[in-house]
Amino acid sequence: RDKFTIHSKAVVCQDVELKGDITIGSGTIVHPKATIFAIAGPIVIGTGCIIEEGAIIVNRRKEVMRIGDDNLFEIGCRVESPTIGSSNTISTKARVHHTVRISSHCVIGAGCLVVPTEDEMLDEFTMIYGPAAERRVWSGRGKVQEADLRRKHGEYLREMLPKFNRLRRGDGM
Amino acid sequence: MAPSIHYHCPCLSSSPVPPPPHLASSSCSFHALHTLFFCEECDAVRCNRCVSVEVSGYYCPNCLFEVPSASVRAEKNRCARNCFLCPNCRNTLSVVPSDPPEDDGRSSIPLSAIGEPPFFLYCNHCRWDSAEVGITFEKPTGLAAQLQRFEDSASDSLEFERLKEHFEPFLRTSSLSSSSHLPTHPSHHTRTSSITAAASAALARDIPGVGRYNTANPLGRSRGKDKSVNKDEMPEYRSRVEIGASGMAGDAEFMKHIEDVGEVAGLEQRWINSWKSSLQTSDLKPLRIPLHSKVSKRCPTCTHILIKPEQKAQSVRYKIKLVAANYLPAITVALPHMQTQDATKRTVAKSTPDEDKGASATMYAGKTYAFHLALTNPLYDPIQVRLSVQRMHVAVSSDGTIPEKARRPPFAVSLPTSSFTVAAFAEAWEYEDDEDMFGVEDDELGLESPRKSGKDKDGRGKTKTVGVLEKKANLTVVGGEVVIGKEARGNVKFNMLVSYTYRSDDPAPPEDDDVPRSPMKGPEVKTFAFYTVVDLGAISPKEVLQVVDLDF
Repeated sequence: RDKFTIHSKAVVCQDVELKGDITIGSGTIVHPKATIFAIAGPIVIGTGCIIEEGAIIVNRRKEVMRIGDDNLFEIGCRVESPTIGSSNTISTKARVHHTVRISSHCVIGAGCLVVPTEDEMLDEFTMIYGPAAERRVWSGRGKVQEADLRRKHGEYLREMLPKFNRLRRGDGM
Repeated sequence: MAPSIHYHCPCLSSSPVPPPPHLASSSCSFHALHTLFFCEECDAVRCNRCVSVEVSGYYCPNCLFEVPSASVRAEKNRCARNCFLCPNCRNTLSVVPSDPPEDDGRSSIPLSAIGEPPFFLYCNHCRWDSAEVGITFEKPTGLAAQLQRFEDSASDSLEFERLKEHFEPFLRTSSLSSSSHLPTHPSHHTRTSSITAAASAALARDIPGVGRYNTANPLGRSRGKDKSVNKDEMPEYRSRVEIGASGMAGDAEFMKHIEDVGEVAGLEQRWINSWKSSLQTSDLKPLRIPLHSKVSKRCPTCTHILIKPEQKAQSVRYKIKLVAANYLPAITVALPHMQTQDATKRTVAKSTPDEDKGASATMYAGKTYAFHLALTNPLYDPIQVRLSVQRMHVAVSSDGTIPEKARRPPFAVSLPTSSFTVAAFAEAWEYEDDEDMFGVEDDELGLESPRKSGKDKDGRGKTKTVGVLEKKANLTVVGGEVVIGKEARGNVKFNMLVSYTYRSDDPAPPEDDDVPRSPMKGPEVKTFAFYTVVDLGAISPKEVLQVVDLDF
């Protein structure tokens, strides 16, 4: 049942808990102690994503969970959303329920609980911040700089992580 | 609520005895130990309410720049450099450059360090940026100067300027006339400050019915000169903007057309302005960060400095720090029968608070409970501590019935009456073996509260609940018992007097303000006593007992 398809250019550390059918795209970095559980259905992760320590990505539904490109999952976050677009940031210890679908360029702030009772799709550029998880829409100014920063972050990690951690290679490429 | 203990500060009152704790007003004179200070000269506890406070410096919490007090007034208590508050979430704004122009081939070329103009303010937390209200800058530095134009044309500063112009001539005439009354105080009037002039004019004003106090000229010659002109008369002030229905109508129009509640600025976003501002969220402007001040505190009676912070804004240490925690033993109170329940509570995930466990963490009427007091000695000498419960009498009103508020729940507290020693504080590396640090004797281990004593006897027959339970380094745990009456309600709170003696090696001359309880002999033995209030928690009625009792 475990089937990991890890691109040769992805950096996945040895100490990651993977379960189920997982596809990881080129350039994605998975830090040690991350957890990706494709329990009921497969998970497909795009290119350039950064999944930090303690992040938990779980798919409890039968449908494929698709995660886009250039996303950042910070430490301790827990994500069950069935669809995630590109260039999002899920900050430290945030929790995203399986009823929410995230589009692109969103930022879920640190410690925010995004747990609506009904199915919901977050618009592009939505910012969720504060202890009460207030929302507002970002104007998008500065997104080029943020994309540049994300890219530099990824490049640095791709260079440094293999020096200090053992890497896990996929079963089939 | 967890059991707690607070310390009493007499706050310069004549009697050192604190008010009975069941009165609601008594809570203002009890403080947590970490908020109290200790004056060595007066040998007394001081709290934040009785110390005299003076400002020792102003600084900006963002850039940590120390602002000299002269510029504080000029800049209206705000930072004059590039520090701004986000109007949306009140976090600090940072200055960022705009994105470079879109170009497909440039995605791999790194962006320049400085960035491109126009610059704007950006909040990292909620991603609000000042371009939404139309504020952009050409250079990333000197933002305050660039915003000065906007601020000066704001309606509240224009109004303030008009008010100042209106009052200026009257202050000048009052100050000139009062200077003829008091020629012995020229220094007041060489200062051009309008505020001091206004204050002295107000003091010198005629009050009908009160005889005029004329220090300089008893003949009243100069008074005749001024009677013709009544200093308090001034033409009516007209504000710059007609305040009236126009403002209200605009708001009402706006409210009729809003589509989303996010369009209205919240109260927390608006009330920091001193002027009524527009209701719309889109009108919220970035604000300059208000300055914080560093204060130094003095004892009110002997003006000895108790707290003196360091001059540098980024340093959190103090030059002088006379806090009560360095002189008084720190006491914590715990109810041991609830501690086992707390330990299991901690393993439950934080996001799901356990409601049912809270019900069992209270005391029931009609039962007896033991509680533990842990005393920690901060001094470098061992101390002898004696505890005593303050006897309270319930006030009886004239018709013989006790008023509802003055009633306190009936309970009896027993504490060890003899004095016990708490060892001196020593650094951890001074202990040679582990045994010295953890000097627990065998017969004090395995001590349980009386409710569980049926199961855990250590073979000696009766387990000790009242008395010294444990001694470990500079910590001593004593146990006491509280018997709660059958019809009790409310909180179990009692005042406790803690008096301790210690030998101080000071070669200083004998302190005359020492509390005269013990005679001084040889190396000085000093005594200090303070009152505390111990709150053990609320009492639940007996009916709840059957539902959540875990012991039977």
